[in-house]
Amino acid sequence: MKLGTNAWQRNLFIATFIIPTFLFFCVFTVYPVLQAMYYSLYDWSGSSDNKTFIGLDNFKEMLHDPIIWIGMGNDYFLVAGKIIGIMILATFFAVALTRFKFRLANFFRSIFFIPNVISVVVIGVLWNFIYNPQIGFLNSFLSLFTKDKVDITWLGFTSHTIWMLLPPAIWAGIGFYMILLIAAIQGIPESYYEASSLEGAGQWHQFRHITLPLIWEQMKVSILNIMMTTLNGSFVIVMIMTNGGPDNTTQVMGSYLYQMAFTQYHFGYGAAIGVLILVLSMITTVILQRLMRQETIEIS
Amino acid sequence: MMFKRHLAALSLAALMIVAPLAGCGSKDSSTSTKTEDASSSTTTTTNTDSSSNTTTDDSTKKLTGDFEIQYFVGGYGDKWWKKVIADFKAANPDLNVKESGGPKINDQMKPRWVGGNPPDFVYIDGPNLNDRQMVEDGQLEDLTDWMKDATNIDGTKISDILAQPPQLFDGKVYDIPLVLNSWGVFWDKALFQEKGWEEPKDWQSFLSVSDKIKAAGVTPFIHTGKYPYYINGAILYPAIVSANNNDISILQDMADSKVEAFQQPAVLTALNKIVELRDKGFIDKASIQINHTDSQMLFLQHKDAFIPNGLWLPNEMAKDVPGGFSFGFIPSVTQDSGGKVVANTSTANVAIAKNAKNKEAAKAFLQFIFSEAQASQWAELSGAPSNIKGDISSSSAPSHVKDAARYLTDSNTVVVPSITFNADVDKAMQDATDALTIGKITPEEWVQRVVDVAKKVKK
Repeated sequence: MKLGTNAWQRNLFIATFIIPTFLFFCVFTVYPVLQAMYYSLYDWSGSSDNKTFIGLDNFKEMLHDPIIWIGMGNDYFLVAGKIIGIMILATFFAVALTRFKFRLANFFRSIFFIPNVISVVVIGVLWNFIYNPQIGFLNSFLSLFTKDKVDITWLGFTSHTIWMLLPPAIWAGIGFYMILLIAAIQGIPESYYEASSLEGAGQWHQFRHITLPLIWEQMKVSILNIMMTTLNGSFVIVMIMTNGGPDNTTQVMGSYLYQMAFTQYHFGYGAAIGVLILVLSMITTVILQRLMRQETIEIS
Repeated sequence: MMFKRHLAALSLAALMIVAPLAGCGSKDSSTSTKTEDASSSTTTTTNTDSSSNTTTDDSTKKLTGDFEIQYFVGGYGDKWWKKVIADFKAANPDLNVKESGGPKINDQMKPRWVGGNPPDFVYIDGPNLNDRQMVEDGQLEDLTDWMKDATNIDGTKISDILAQPPQLFDGKVYDIPLVLNSWGVFWDKALFQEKGWEEPKDWQSFLSVSDKIKAAGVTPFIHTGKYPYYINGAILYPAIVSANNNDISILQDMADSKVEAFQQPAVLTALNKIVELRDKGFIDKASIQINHTDSQMLFLQHKDAFIPNGLWLPNEMAKDVPGGFSFGFIPSVTQDSGGKVVANTSTANVAIAKNAKNKEAAKAFLQFIFSEAQASQWAELSGAPSNIKGDISSSSAPSHVKDAARYLTDSNTVVVPSITFNADVDKAMQDATDALTIGKITPEEWVQRVVDVAKKVKK
């Protein structure tokens, strides 16, 4: 390949974009992942300068650790709950704001998007206040309809407390996916709908046979994204709202990782949990992609 | 034209490759200067071991080089640290004192401890810093020999003036308690007087006044279920000691994760006291899900009459204490009538890093801070008793601090020295206590759970 030829220039041009990105990817993604894998093979407190190689013992221990199983169950509960909740509501809002033309559509679009602008930490604190048994909004509201003051401890049930984390998580997620779906719906040519209404199709038929197939690609991306962000990120809302408690009932893998690595001084074990999260995320992605494989219908 | 495009592509490529490297380069150079700094400071300071011959003439010895102090800023604030460091600087003008303080300092400094480049001196307090773990990790300097005859700047032997002796790890001293805190139960004296409620002295009077409080429409007891170590420290551990005939060795055995200690009947007796509070409906239902600040707010608003807490409480909530509120304090309520009060103390300790570069300055700083002048200054500036014996009744320390100091020096009080549990056992006890307060498990199951964890830790 001679210097200055077109091919050489083309390759150079591509390389200018690929190489720096690849380097950054290696430094900030590949290297930390490899390091986490490395630490997961050690018994290390995280604050000592010596560590012991123990092979796969951390992973073996996980099998007998009940909290790992609770965390995994809670994680997948949140994944399922969020996918169902967010997708139904986001699709509903997106259709409502695009297909049913009404005056305040733009206003509502902004309103629904607001939770996405707020940091998860603020959302956690806000919902903590809603759930507060003594001075919280929810109990005060319910007390309007009862004779005695309602004093339900929303975040303190002996089990199933994880259910209470679902509403804030869904509430926080709707806006973004709604915008994504609105964009997809707006990309569908108006003529399709006109033609179908001439043929006598009602709103539901139009939704089922025009909108849904044509936005399926975006929905797929949304579902995968919800799954991945939940498995990797539900840690924040748990830490803010319940700290994994009471009695570990709301622990997710991420919060347990933090707990083990930084509060109970088992950094190696924490790293092993991190590796587990990575593996589970990948497996789940593959499975979900297979499940959702459906011929993509493209607008021609 | 062709050439121009070629040139443009090349320069773009060069720019994009070099730009990120520029970042790396500057980072590299900064770390290398840091290591140079470190090495120069090790060379300038003479690392003579002054462990045995530290006497008053030590203060006249010139301290040089760099000296770094790490201190956590929490409920006690940082007024005292600023003051004492300024005083120490004034006394040692040739020493370059560097302070690393803040509410997140424990996390911020962790990489340096791991990397073998810790600060010289550390104040062990706040989250994510556990002296037992630091000792196990070999991070702290063994001070056993030094403590034997170390004197402070006034020439007084330090071990003679400590209210609480240092905790022993396998018989060795690694850190010295600086702050003496006691767990206990707080109430508002003014409210109790107004309502005609008696202040509790023991378990029986605590229960009977709680009955009255409940009848008056106030919830008797609130704690923070998010951080169950509050109720463990102020209720459970003193109750265990009381039930164990005031013998504190049971808690020390628990701290050593000895399985038999958890199986003692005293533990069950103590747990049943919490069950009694629960079954009588004395525990505010909100407790389980709220954090310490929220529980303290509800207490200050008189929604609840009693709160288990530490002596930092009034200082921590200073901005929110309503007018007329007067803190009443007793270290324990779980003793039978006529029994001794049990004060479960928790000390915040100071230590020298094993890899410290200026151990001489760190030891001099220890001698400097463990003096009576600094002790009364601590009580005034941080609103908590210091660990140095001395009469503070005439000082300007707040009244609950004086109350606490009176309890801690009373011969009728069992003073439990600061105990650090293994982190896994501690967490298991906290989770189990939470589960117990909401009726999820029985006391027997509490014991079983903790025993299982202790067994695993001992392995």
